[in-house]
Amino acid sequence: MNKTTILVATLALVSFGCGDSGGTGGTGGTGGEGSAVAVTIQFAAKVGMADFECGETYDNLGANSTSLQLDDFRFYVQDVELKNAEGDYVPVELDTDDNRWQVENVALLDFEDCSELGDPEMNGVVTGTVPEGTYDGLRFAMGVPVDLNHDNPSVAPPPLNVGTMHWDWQGGYKFLRIDSGNIMVNMSNWRMHLGSTDCDGDPLAGGTTMCTNSNRVEVDFNTFDPESDTVLADFAAMVEGAALDVNQDGTPFGCMAGPSDGDCAPLFDNLGLPFDGSEPEVQQFFSVE
Amino acid sequence: MKHLTHILILLPLILGAGCGDSDTASSSEAWVWDLPDTVPEPRVPEDNPMTAPKVELGRFLFYDKKLSGNQTQSCGTCHLQELAFTDGLAQAEGSTGQIHPRSSMSIANAGYAASLTWANEAMVMLERQALVPIFGEDPVELGMANMEDELLRRMRDDERYPEMFAAAFPDQADPINLDSITKAIAAFQRQVTSFKSPVDRWQQRDLTALNESEQRGMALFFGGTNAAGVEDAFECFHCHGGFLFSQSSDDAGQVFNQKFFMNNGLYNLDEDGSYPPGNEGMYEMTGDPLDKGRFKPPSLRNIAVTAPYMHDGSIATLEEVLDHYARGGRLIESGPNAGDGRNNPNKSALLNGFEMTEQEKQDLIAFLRALTDDELLNNPAYSDPFAE
Repeated sequence: MNKTTILVATLALVSFGCGDSGGTGGTGGTGGEGSAVAVTIQFAAKVGMADFECGETYDNLGANSTSLQLDDFRFYVQDVELKNAEGDYVPVELDTDDNRWQVENVALLDFEDCSELGDPEMNGVVTGTVPEGTYDGLRFAMGVPVDLNHDNPSVAPPPLNVGTMHWDWQGGYKFLRIDSGNIMVNMSNWRMHLGSTDCDGDPLAGGTTMCTNSNRVEVDFNTFDPESDTVLADFAAMVEGAALDVNQDGTPFGCMAGPSDGDCAPLFDNLGLPFDGSEPEVQQFFSVE
Repeated sequence: MKHLTHILILLPLILGAGCGDSDTASSSEAWVWDLPDTVPEPRVPEDNPMTAPKVELGRFLFYDKKLSGNQTQSCGTCHLQELAFTDGLAQAEGSTGQIHPRSSMSIANAGYAASLTWANEAMVMLERQALVPIFGEDPVELGMANMEDELLRRMRDDERYPEMFAAAFPDQADPINLDSITKAIAAFQRQVTSFKSPVDRWQQRDLTALNESEQRGMALFFGGTNAAGVEDAFECFHCHGGFLFSQSSDDAGQVFNQKFFMNNGLYNLDEDGSYPPGNEGMYEMTGDPLDKGRFKPPSLRNIAVTAPYMHDGSIATLEEVLDHYARGGRLIESGPNAGDGRNNPNKSALLNGFEMTEQEKQDLIAFLRALTDDELLNNPAYSDPFAE
């Protein structure tokens, strides 16, 4: 009995010693103040009207009706909140017990099971709890919260330890990753990798301290019924108006969010993100069905 | 009870993750830097203290082809000791044959770099930088993307590594993990220091260390008046001064952020001062046209053995480098990169060109050659343990 106590105490000490910002792997047991109810928010990956299926080829994409074989489709969402009857947004306390798809206030949505740079497992839901009540709206951001985005990925908890979602040269994560074709064989296949750019690091403190371009996609659905609605992420909507078969010289084929890669401009526009001083419009990548 | 089980399982995981282990409890002896008293100690992250077993593990990992997807390359493939840990190529070639836009940089004294690689403000820790060549997808270098498990399996199945990891990370129950790999490689790199050149010996009061030509070159380098009567005609040390021969330096006692990036007039493709697409320096990170062509001034230590020069290896010899600076920028008369770099709008104000006699040129080159540290090139402690 004594020994057990000591072990538990040791854990507490070790945990504090790690300087984690608290809440990692927490049971979320806020308990006491009204009862919490489970909520599941459904996500789906689409290419126009069609469901995204890993490895499928889709036609009539972008300004020049390009065909692309898509074999990766993953993104992080953060700060998922539901709108209650009073019109207030309430954070969804994410389930973190399975130590897999969600941690703190970030979740990984994974619709690929065929990429050489992925794995067979997929996830199309965000699960958690909210105070009992009625909810009719949803908001979240596609991204990884800034306080988690620049930690050491080698020791980050799932789902922030997925190597291929980390963007080492920018010191943060790829918030969105959509690849076409098989990149290990042919590097010229179209790819979209989105994350924060123009980041700075402090050699004295180590690590990344700030990024000029956050590139987190803000999503706000005034009407959303968590019981019956699904959040759609539509690749065709993201590339609308983009010439996918044209590439700016000296830039990656597609868009890796480089501020100087003009191929990104229409995609950023569709994502509601500023690019090269543009005034962003409302994002159209995500919609409700 | 179920809860308690969870906690007990978590305990080794947390320890295994290596967060905050200071190694103070480990029995390994305190690390002693082999540095002259003219040079500060490098900054060492609190969570990655230097130990001899860790450095030795890092040396094996640095030279091990198991760190590439197809097992054809190691870090050492592009960082050859005899070339002061560069590769002699204009642009590096990755394990899948992809050509990198940039020239391999020396790892000597990388532990002192205020920022790592050619033009990345965010890259300030060796531990994080190691992830780029291992896992980067664009360009592919070692090509281990999505092969973390395979990498760890290769380590576990190796004859040597389980024991070496255990010795290097004695506080960890399961030390073979990605974090310990990057920490060990960083620790190895951090102690690959190079401060034993003739110039260093001179600075330590050995007045026989430099011949007269080298001494004249040193005077010109550090602001001397040239034959044309211009004081500080060459302005070398403004960017390439300090103990690193790059002002972009950091060390354990440094309290200021000394990163900086300069355009040195290599290209000027258009009115914005553009550089060749795909190799535009800071601009690639910031998108700010004023950042076109801005790169980190690299250390000039061992510069005589690290040809070709510049971020893209586009200048073959030291003589041509001096000619470039004497002109105040490079003129490319035709072809896709045509333009007069001298007129690049982003060019550093320090690069206005200068007159240089043949003797001055030879003296400057003699001085630059005296920055070569033969011990770096031959030190067995830095060498490839897999070599025959």
